[in-house]
Amino acid sequence: MNALEVKGLSKTYPDFTLDKVSFCVQQGHICGLIGRNGAGKSTTIKGIMRLISADGAVSVFGKDIYSEETAVKQMIGYVGGGFRYYPMNTLAAVRKAYAPFYKTWDQGRYQRFLAQFELIESKKVKELSEGMKVKFALALALSHGAKLLIMDEPTSGLDPLSREEFCDVILRLVSEEGVSVLFSTHITSDLMRIADDIVYISRGKILAACPLKELLGKYRLGRFSSLAEATAANAIGVKPVKDGYEGLLLLDNLKYGNAGNAEITDAAIDNIIVHLERANEVKKHVKSD
Amino acid sequence: MLNLIKKELHLCLHPTAYIFLSFAALVFVPNYPYEVIFFFSCLSVFFCCMKARENGDIAFSCALPVKKEHIPLAKILVVIGLQCIVLLLAGIIGAIKGAVLPAEQYVNQAGISANLTLVANGAILLGVFNLLFFPRYFKAPDKIGVPFVTAAIAVFLLIGIFMVLRFTTPLYSITLNGLNTVNTGAKAAALITGIAIYVVLSAVSCKLSVSRFRKFDA
Repeated sequence: MNALEVKGLSKTYPDFTLDKVSFCVQQGHICGLIGRNGAGKSTTIKGIMRLISADGAVSVFGKDIYSEETAVKQMIGYVGGGFRYYPMNTLAAVRKAYAPFYKTWDQGRYQRFLAQFELIESKKVKELSEGMKVKFALALALSHGAKLLIMDEPTSGLDPLSREEFCDVILRLVSEEGVSVLFSTHITSDLMRIADDIVYISRGKILAACPLKELLGKYRLGRFSSLAEATAANAIGVKPVKDGYEGLLLLDNLKYGNAGNAEITDAAIDNIIVHLERANEVKKHVKSD
Repeated sequence: MLNLIKKELHLCLHPTAYIFLSFAALVFVPNYPYEVIFFFSCLSVFFCCMKARENGDIAFSCALPVKKEHIPLAKILVVIGLQCIVLLLAGIIGAIKGAVLPAEQYVNQAGISANLTLVANGAILLGVFNLLFFPRYFKAPDKIGVPFVTAAIAVFLLIGIFMVLRFTTPLYSITLNGLNTVNTGAKAAALITGIAIYVVLSAVSCKLSVSRFRKFDA
């Protein structure tokens, strides 16, 4: 059974459309939701959490969120970035209001997270740094035995050590408790470290939803001495770089040996995003012309 | 729902929500339009909504394991609770005034006496406020000003109407005015009517608020 199934999630704003987004998060998997700013990552997560009114179907462990909203949300640990609510209240006051909503709230576990993240409950939310706000949001989300974690850029604002700590916590939860995770991020090093699957979204549409290894294995990065050479090699999202041109090459195409004299290297996730986005932009300009 | 109500009480209520309850004691002020007491109750709702906005309360609540539709219901139920308290206090303190200063009940030159009719008028005022404020507020909880000003204008117009009725109609100036012990049946009937109007208007307000909030994007 999939931990999360999203089918045809759509939302239309005056200047943006989330266009029938569909993907799954397998049980016990960590799925990274990636895309540039404004691509629709947060809108997708808000649609899943029913924070916005969106069309489409969302089910968690087979339960439909629209018909069983309370039960489904009990299973979800949600982190919407740093904790930016109730700045004048203490962490203890927020926790006292938050904990009763969860039947499986584990105060001991919460205390352990507080100690691990060096959070002091008597502090007011406004007294926390941005990184500490993320940690507080994590402590709340991880303390009620959630089976599915949905996080919107949880590592933004965290220093490298804290990000490492975050990754360790998530990996431990997945390996020991079988928790499933969907998280959006710009920090691809975190993605490479912990993600099993990738959902890549661009301009409100899913461009790829597959295992991370499959996506990385699908492309190679080609460096070309001229634009003509790159075009001849059917390179994707070609852009000028310091000493020539760079573009993505489909591994399948490379087998036919049409890359010419290009210097071929493995494509990192950043390279894939940059060049696919560039290819998308070119397509958009061609359409508008 | 109970947890949402508790959360409202712990994190969302502005201090004025409690402070303005004490304004029910204004019934002891001579020559005062006592219906204004209920406007303060409306004003505290405005402050609570402002506080909710500054605290990002709606977005926080939407992520909790509750039905989205329960969020406006919980907020309105808390306000209804406070409104019931202020109505009760106005009735009780008015009755105390009637017992302690009976002559004072007949000489209010600014409106109706502090009796059961005042509570009925208050219930109608609060019901109208609920109907005009909450459905507009829950359509876009970030925009509090226009819904409040619209509802406040309606409340003050209604207060004006009650004052005019007090001096122009025998029903309000004689039958429903003065001590509760005089014309008790008529005053009780006015009270029941006022409460019935409050219940109906508040119920409609809840229904509209829920349907509008369903479409709101947090």
